[in-house]
Amino acid sequence: MNFLSLFVRNLLHGPYTDPFPFAPAPTAARFRGKVAFDPETCEACRKCERACPTGAIRFERTPEGMTFDCWHDTCVFCGNCVFHCPTGAIEQTGDWHLAHLQAEKYRQVEHGLIPAIVCSSCGGKGLDSAPAIAKIKPPLSPDEAKELRSLCPKCRAKFLKQRRQSA
Amino acid sequence: MSTQVAVVLSVLLFPGGLFALTLGLALKGMDRRVAARLQGRVGPPLTQPFIDLVKLAFKRTMVPTTACEPVFLGAPLVGVVSMLTAAALVPISGLYTPEPVLGNLLVVLYLLVVPGVVLMVAGSSSSSPYGAIGFSREMVLMLAYEGPIVLVAAAVALRVGMAEGHIATFSLAEIVAYQRTHGMFLLDPVMWPAVGAFCLFFPANLGIVPFDIPEAETEVLEGPVLEYSGPALGLFKVMSALKAVVVLGLGIALFAPLDLTGAPAFLGWLAEIVVLMVLGVTAVRLSAGRMRIDQAFSFFFKWPLLLSAASVAAIALA
Amino acid sequence: MTMLQKFKDIAVRSPWIYRINAGSCNGCDVEMATTALIPRYDVERLGCQYCGSPRHADIVLISGPLTRHVVDAARRVFDEIPDPKVTVAVGVCPISGGIFRESYAVLAPIDDYFPIDVNVPGCPPRPQAIIEGIAQAIQVWRQRL
Repeated sequence: MNFLSLFVRNLLHGPYTDPFPFAPAPTAARFRGKVAFDPETCEACRKCERACPTGAIRFERTPEGMTFDCWHDTCVFCGNCVFHCPTGAIEQTGDWHLAHLQAEKYRQVEHGLIPAIVCSSCGGKGLDSAPAIAKIKPPLSPDEAKELRSLCPKCRAKFLKQRRQSA
Repeated sequence: MSTQVAVVLSVLLFPGGLFALTLGLALKGMDRRVAARLQGRVGPPLTQPFIDLVKLAFKRTMVPTTACEPVFLGAPLVGVVSMLTAAALVPISGLYTPEPVLGNLLVVLYLLVVPGVVLMVAGSSSSSPYGAIGFSREMVLMLAYEGPIVLVAAAVALRVGMAEGHIATFSLAEIVAYQRTHGMFLLDPVMWPAVGAFCLFFPANLGIVPFDIPEAETEVLEGPVLEYSGPALGLFKVMSALKAVVVLGLGIALFAPLDLTGAPAFLGWLAEIVVLMVLGVTAVRLSAGRMRIDQAFSFFFKWPLLLSAASVAAIALA
Repeated sequence: MTMLQKFKDIAVRSPWIYRINAGSCNGCDVEMATTALIPRYDVERLGCQYCGSPRHADIVLISGPLTRHVVDAARRVFDEIPDPKVTVAVGVCPISGGIFRESYAVLAPIDDYFPIDVNVPGCPPRPQAIIEGIAQAIQVWRQRL
């Protein structure tokens, strides 16, 4: 006879229904939703591309630089890319409003571009990617980091080696 | 006005036809809404069954290639016509008395069998194995519950007939008139077994949990109505809405007609039918799980049959 | 607005939903079930109803990458659904294969075999995201009525 007390309780309390879609739905703080990419902080290490289980993330070298594409229609929102990224350039927002019509299917892409640069010391080709300086001791000053950023990978290695030897 | 015009109007407008259809669909909408509130949800709007019918009118009726098309399409029509006629046969105490030419309690009982037969025929003519299962289950269920309802009808007829001097009277108008003067059978202890048997019978007739075995959604993919779509399915919904009004109206006429006239009689009848719907259909639907067909069969051969037989015996011997 | 348009606007408020599991892991199926059944998300207040028979359906929710075993059965059930209907691909598996994309047993993307109208990505998508997808499907359905 338990159901009678349930009926009374439900009638007295009223519906327990979430007001969505007539009011916004609550989203948890660490909800794993749409992927957001910040080219400024990306190192172009491509760890996220390797860690992605579905191959949703693709990097491609183009004359303009390195493009980043994450196709949300095959991303499984696992968070591997966020976990492995050393700089936090890729992160998952709380956006889950991803339903779309069939015509928009191939436009569900988070696109980013790390621009190509000309190296300020040797004049070769480089990328405007954040330098991988997280584990370097003593830490680099902002001016040093800015100078490092304008170099190509070979010159970056030379710079750091000189810095290590002169320290 | 002449009898024929009165009969046609009562079948098409009030209390059959449009009135019964509107009332039946409103009752169904109310049932869904109250059920949702009892479950702690919001539930569909009260007009949802009407919206469903409008939507079904826009879909196309597909007929399976191996089905028997005239029977497949004609079955729901027969069901709807029988229920329209039955709705015109059930009296509303103080407001409407059916024309004697239409028939009496026995005709109503026969007409109540027709929707079940229509479901069976629909299931078997749709040439689908799920339809065949639904057909056999509906047949078993009808065998089970027809016994008690016939005995209940006999009990009421005997009671009124013996009190009036002859053996039994099957005219619903007389049954209602007798109760208006001598008090409802609901308050008469001799009739309580019959009331109990009727309360156990009508969930099975209306096809609600725990007895919605032929139209089980999860087990036989909705059984007999599996292959129906579009307006033909709409006719089945119409038939079940009309049947709800007929069965509940019959219950009220047999056991609890109010001694009022005019507008208060109508409002009292509406109130009774709503209360019967909420207590007898919604509350039962929510608190039980579906029975198996063999359990339902043996259930009906135990309590409802015993109660209705005891009722007939008590009245005959009293 | 003509009478017919008014009736169509009324008819659109009662979409009946049928689910096809085309080889899914059941994650999306669980989310689709919770969308209807539990009091918290209650899709019935929008007029939707999960129906037991494909003949009664207006909106089809397909989940799962189309595995080789299920192609024929899914195609036959899909053909049973009367027009006008709208097809929604729930989860990333039908849209692109999801995490099973490079499997030999999977025939994704499903729109090589079925005409899809709305996609709801997610693995599995939130019940609220599914409701949004159903709302878009209702818009498409209104055009087709």
